[in-house]
Amino acid sequence: MSDKPSDLIQGTLDMLILKTLALEPMHGYGIAVRLEQMSKGVFRVNAGSLFVAFQRLQRAGLIKGEWKATENSRRAKYYALTEQGRKRLSSETREWGRQVAAIARILEAS
Amino acid sequence: MSLLRSLSDGLRSLFRKKRIGQELDEELNGFLEMAAEEKMKQRMSRKDALRAVRLERGSLEVAKEVVHSAGWESFVETCWQDLRFAIRMLRKSPSFTAVAVLTLALGIGTSSSVFSVVDRILFRSLPYPQDNRLVSFGLLAPIERDEFMLGSSYVDLGKQFGPFELLTAMAPGATRCDLTEQNGIRLDCASVEQTFLVTFGIQPVLGRNFLPDEDRPNVPRVALLGYSLWKSRFGGDPEILGKTISLDGKATRVVGVLPSNFEMPTLSSADILLPLALDEDRQRRANPGMVLRTFARLKPGIDVREATAALQPWFQQALRGAPPVFRKEIRFSVRTLRERQVGGARLASWLLFGAVLAFLTVACTNVANLLLARATGRQRELAVRAALGAGRSRLVRQTLTESLLLGVLGGTAGSWFAYFLLRLFVSIAPQGIPRLEQARMDLRVAAFAVGITLISAVIFGLAPALQYPTPESLIGKDVPGTTRNVLRQILVATQIAISLVLLAGASLLLRSLWNLDNIRLGMQTENVVTEYISLGQSRYPTPEKQLAFFAELEKRVKRLPGAISIALSDSLPPYGQMRSTIFAGIEVAGRPLFSQGTGGPVGWRAVTGEYFSALSISILQGRAFQKSDLAPSENSIILNETLARELFPNGNAIGQQLRLFRIPGPWRTVIGIAADVKNDGLTAHTGPEFYLPWKNDPVESFNTAYVTVRTQMNSKSVATWMREETHGVDSAVPVTIEAMSHRVSKLTARPRFNALLLSLFAGMGVLLAAIGIYGVVNFLVEQRTREIGVRMALGATPQGILKMVLANIARWTIAGAALGLLGAWVCGRLMQSLLFDVRAHDPTLLGLALALLMVVALAAALIPARQATRVDPMIALRYE
Repeated sequence: MSDKPSDLIQGTLDMLILKTLALEPMHGYGIAVRLEQMSKGVFRVNAGSLFVAFQRLQRAGLIKGEWKATENSRRAKYYALTEQGRKRLSSETREWGRQVAAIARILEAS
Repeated sequence: MSLLRSLSDGLRSLFRKKRIGQELDEELNGFLEMAAEEKMKQRMSRKDALRAVRLERGSLEVAKEVVHSAGWESFVETCWQDLRFAIRMLRKSPSFTAVAVLTLALGIGTSSSVFSVVDRILFRSLPYPQDNRLVSFGLLAPIERDEFMLGSSYVDLGKQFGPFELLTAMAPGATRCDLTEQNGIRLDCASVEQTFLVTFGIQPVLGRNFLPDEDRPNVPRVALLGYSLWKSRFGGDPEILGKTISLDGKATRVVGVLPSNFEMPTLSSADILLPLALDEDRQRRANPGMVLRTFARLKPGIDVREATAALQPWFQQALRGAPPVFRKEIRFSVRTLRERQVGGARLASWLLFGAVLAFLTVACTNVANLLLARATGRQRELAVRAALGAGRSRLVRQTLTESLLLGVLGGTAGSWFAYFLLRLFVSIAPQGIPRLEQARMDLRVAAFAVGITLISAVIFGLAPALQYPTPESLIGKDVPGTTRNVLRQILVATQIAISLVLLAGASLLLRSLWNLDNIRLGMQTENVVTEYISLGQSRYPTPEKQLAFFAELEKRVKRLPGAISIALSDSLPPYGQMRSTIFAGIEVAGRPLFSQGTGGPVGWRAVTGEYFSALSISILQGRAFQKSDLAPSENSIILNETLARELFPNGNAIGQQLRLFRIPGPWRTVIGIAADVKNDGLTAHTGPEFYLPWKNDPVESFNTAYVTVRTQMNSKSVATWMREETHGVDSAVPVTIEAMSHRVSKLTARPRFNALLLSLFAGMGVLLAAIGIYGVVNFLVEQRTREIGVRMALGATPQGILKMVLANIARWTIAGAALGLLGAWVCGRLMQSLLFDVRAHDPTLLGLALALLMVVALAAALIPARQATRVDPMIALRYE
């Protein structure tokens, strides 16, 4: 795998955002950093895609936003999972696991 | 749930755009700051840090834009933008906008108004539930064009029958009856069976239907009131039920009120319904019995053809009961109710509707052409937009918004236009177009108008929108838009074709109208005034009283200044209410009876002596009736030319003896032969006819009659005097006074109406086609100004240029004309039955239409083409 950050697999960004929020509410930049950290620098998300995803998830009722002060006493919008979002995360994780396992089986078959 | 949230969120960001925008700004700025702080921890300067973040995370401005356009509300916003832009663009070129909107308004307006007229005739359901199952059935005979049945066979039919779920009968036509109370009025009473309302599925708004026991002879009479009579005469009083009114002096109990939308299946007017009270035994004994109009409701799933087949055995049996002379000429028929009601108007309605749709097409084509020309002019603008990142769909959307806006403007103007046009139609339309008085702009018509507006907007908007600008158009070089030019020329060819069809159709109708107007009637209608008088049973119950009235009236009218001759008759040509018998019913002395069927109908009238001079009908042989012929003891008869020729081919009619009506009546002597007078409308052949003297013989009934006066005076003042004189005899008698020429022109009113409308559409169609051709040639010339300049610089003559420009358009015009000729040929065949004395493919008329169209097309092309010859090569070459 090259060193350059790669693009996300289509449709997985939402799931990843939900995952990062599973632990605690976080602001936009925090989410971006966390994604990068957790993927060990593989995924670097563009601000545009990130905020569109926030808007989409918010409208779907999976996350909700709230303005709060950060540890550096800056005002930022913190996103938190809703109950619905939590359910969605677990269902998508399960589904993802199933699919990855299936793909792996196919790739290893040869 | 999430849909709702998305909706509310979207609406929030639409209406509180500024706040939401600020919030997003703040969030993104926070994002930027935090990222930059992180970088600055690694000893970067703030400026470098910000730059690095932008590189890594993309421009925040773009991010904002992306977030902004991700929600559905941005779609609404761009639509609003497009709309404002479209309004600006249209306002910038007012003449283009005016022409386009006007053209659309004309097209949409005329088509909506015509639709609202034909909708009632062709499409809309009749005011009965499941009206498509209602049929009129029975026999058709030469003297009767609508289905009827005779009492005896109807009674035999019984109440349950094969393909029918229900069937019912009514007396033919409404009879006049008088409400004999204080302020009595004359009404139309219709007699129907108890099953009538059930069969048609009509519920009284008040009270109930007749009971079977009330629909019998010799029981106390009951009645159902019509809604408007109930409202106007009885003030809508619900207590009317059970009350007794006096009809023609007979006590009649009101049992119900009909709904306001009630109409008779025969479309005749009826203020009151009475039970038919058919006496079955008497009908059987009287064989054939009375004439009835019969209707039925088909069983579900059975169509007219199956019903006709299923009823054949019964018909064969019924035929056995019919008088032998009729048998050969009687047919059996089942028709849908709509067919019976609008049979004659159907073709004309389709013709009108087709013409107006054709006209609408021409209008839309024109607008499409205008838009195409405009789009070519705006190629550069669109190219700039495309270069700045507008995608194909975005450009299509923008162009479509513009054409939709045009469509809406045109549609709105068109609806107003349609409203006024419809009122105009109703006011100039002749009588007898079924349901015209009900035609109005309503939701259905509005839906039609909106539908065609949208469809036409999309069609003419899409054509220019589909071409994505090429990079070359950015620098203003005209790309020879060949596809677009071909499209425009195809549009012109279509217009030419449609206009030619319209012109050809209109010329056929006009020619046939001219033939109708110049038909030989066999009488002189100028300076003749007619008066129709209906005496009514209650005031004039006996023939003596009736005769006395007419004698007095005749005496008074004779004294009028300027009256040359005055005649009384029971009917008048050229149409309507002539009494008739059959040819086989005429017995010539010394010959066996005519035995091959009925021989067809023979009409007859009872007339006084001056009838022939009043109408200037020439007596070819013998003499007219004289005073002496009117005496009860005299038995003379006058034949028309046709009947005389049929009865006495040798020309020896005068002095022959005839006996009429197959009853052993008196022998009558033929004293004269009168010239044929049109007696069955204008288009039909003049049928055989004879005249009997209007006798002062109280055996006959003279309830209604016509007074005909030939005058030297202005017919208007004569009309006033006649009315005064009639009221001088009896002020309660209703009269209808009409000039004879007006009576006749009523017959041509419908063809005149058709011809007028079609000519109007054809004229407007040709005008629009001319505008279209002008536009195309003008555009071609403009586009090729440089080329023309080069040609002229190289020595081309103006004539050569003219030829070049015209040759181009001529190709397509000729193609269109060829197509149009084909269309006109088909169209002519379809409308043959609307024509009178014209061949549907009259080559002269078709040639004239073609020539007219070609001249107009040439003229329209010549104006801009001549401009091309005046191009100054120097200017043209510099022109960029």
